[in-house]
Amino acid sequence: MPAKKKINFAKAFEELEEITQWFDSEENLDLDKGLKQFERGLELAGELKKKLSEVENKVESIKEKFAG
Amino acid sequence: MDPHVLSVAQYLDLVNQALRQVPSDQTVVEGEVSDFRIAQGKWVSFDLKDEQEEAVLKCFMTTWQLKVQIESGMRVQVKGYPKVYERFGSFKMNVQEVAPVGEGALRRAYELLKKKMEAEGLFDVSRKRSLSRFPERIGLITSRDAAAYGDFLRILNNRWGGVVVEHAHVHVQGRQAVKEIVGAFQYFNALSESERPDALVLTRGGGGLEDLHAFNDEGVARAIFSSSIPVVCAVGHERDESLADFVADVRASTPSNAAERVVPSRSDVSYEIETMARHMEERMRDHIEMRSRVIERATGSISFILERQKERFRAAHERLMVAGEDWLPLIRSELEGLARVLRQVDPKRVLARGYSIVTVNGAVVADASKVGVGQEVGVQLAAGSFDAQVTRVDGKGQQKLV
Repeated sequence: MPAKKKINFAKAFEELEEITQWFDSEENLDLDKGLKQFERGLELAGELKKKLSEVENKVESIKEKFAG
Repeated sequence: MDPHVLSVAQYLDLVNQALRQVPSDQTVVEGEVSDFRIAQGKWVSFDLKDEQEEAVLKCFMTTWQLKVQIESGMRVQVKGYPKVYERFGSFKMNVQEVAPVGEGALRRAYELLKKKMEAEGLFDVSRKRSLSRFPERIGLITSRDAAAYGDFLRILNNRWGGVVVEHAHVHVQGRQAVKEIVGAFQYFNALSESERPDALVLTRGGGGLEDLHAFNDEGVARAIFSSSIPVVCAVGHERDESLADFVADVRASTPSNAAERVVPSRSDVSYEIETMARHMEERMRDHIEMRSRVIERATGSISFILERQKERFRAAHERLMVAGEDWLPLIRSELEGLARVLRQVDPKRVLARGYSIVTVNGAVVADASKVGVGQEVGVQLAAGSFDAQVTRVDGKGQQKLV
């Protein structure tokens, strides 16, 4: 089983999308919250980009025989 | 010697015993179907005829044994046990398996099964599920000897990384194919939630109807239909179609196309991430610039907050330096621009150059006519502040003491 310490790409991407959307939906953006969101967004973008550089896919052969 | 006297039942029992001597396991009977009928939705009966000689074999089976669609006029091979049915005194073959013979019959059986499944709603677009955009585990059902296996993995590796591909090796044609494919679907669907793949890919190269029989098998189609994991099916070349294709949630044209459907491309996603980051940054900058103009007017007490914001930027900036991706310098330079804007509007920097800010009751005074002689004002310097009394305004007021 793969270690679960790796970030979940789908979840991180979704969070980044939400933050980006938040910036557009706020009419009067609160500077303090904006900065917090911006930092989080950049952090996510950085992690996602790092994850993108993973080249390998792992193939696991299932030992089970499927013949009846 | 007196003949044995047997009851009818006893006699038929004897005949049936004798019929068991027929090597049924190793025998298939080929002929043309006629008078095909299904009674009460369960009992299937038809005659198997020779075209040349006048010979008829009455056949009987249940709908559960009937894995393919049969109709009168179709050429088939049947396998089963001969038996005399006591109640009707009729000789019939108890059919275990029936298979169409020849391209024409196969084509016809395929069309009939397709029509039946379509009517049942197995191909309904409304039940098709979408795939998760960023799968972590993919179940691959194909033969490791098939070209499809290599094609799929090659394109998968070109596009995306970090995925665990669980490969279930199955025959994609031949006698074992159906059982193994159905078994693989059962295996994946029986896995616990955490081990379960995000998508299943069933694939093989192209071929004729005979080669594709497993992908046109009702059992395989139903296994796809009832899979709780979304299924991508890819058979051969663009033109090939199979029932498995129609039932699957996503129909890919080739094994390579299956890989394209199941994972996104790195470059697309990379671009998307950059665009989002830049968009956030632009929105942030717009707001900071807007705020800066407000701050410029208010000055004084705001400088503390401004200082904190700058600190936050510096910290974010430093983290970006550490991340050090080639797309980051762009955002980094943008951030530096922002910091510069903030520095320029920071009243403390202005004060450091020898200027001071005069306030009356906390409000900044920018116009001498707004203060009167004798009024007390606050003066803020780069270091410290003091209060003072106005003695003259625009040269008018108390005499200058020499």
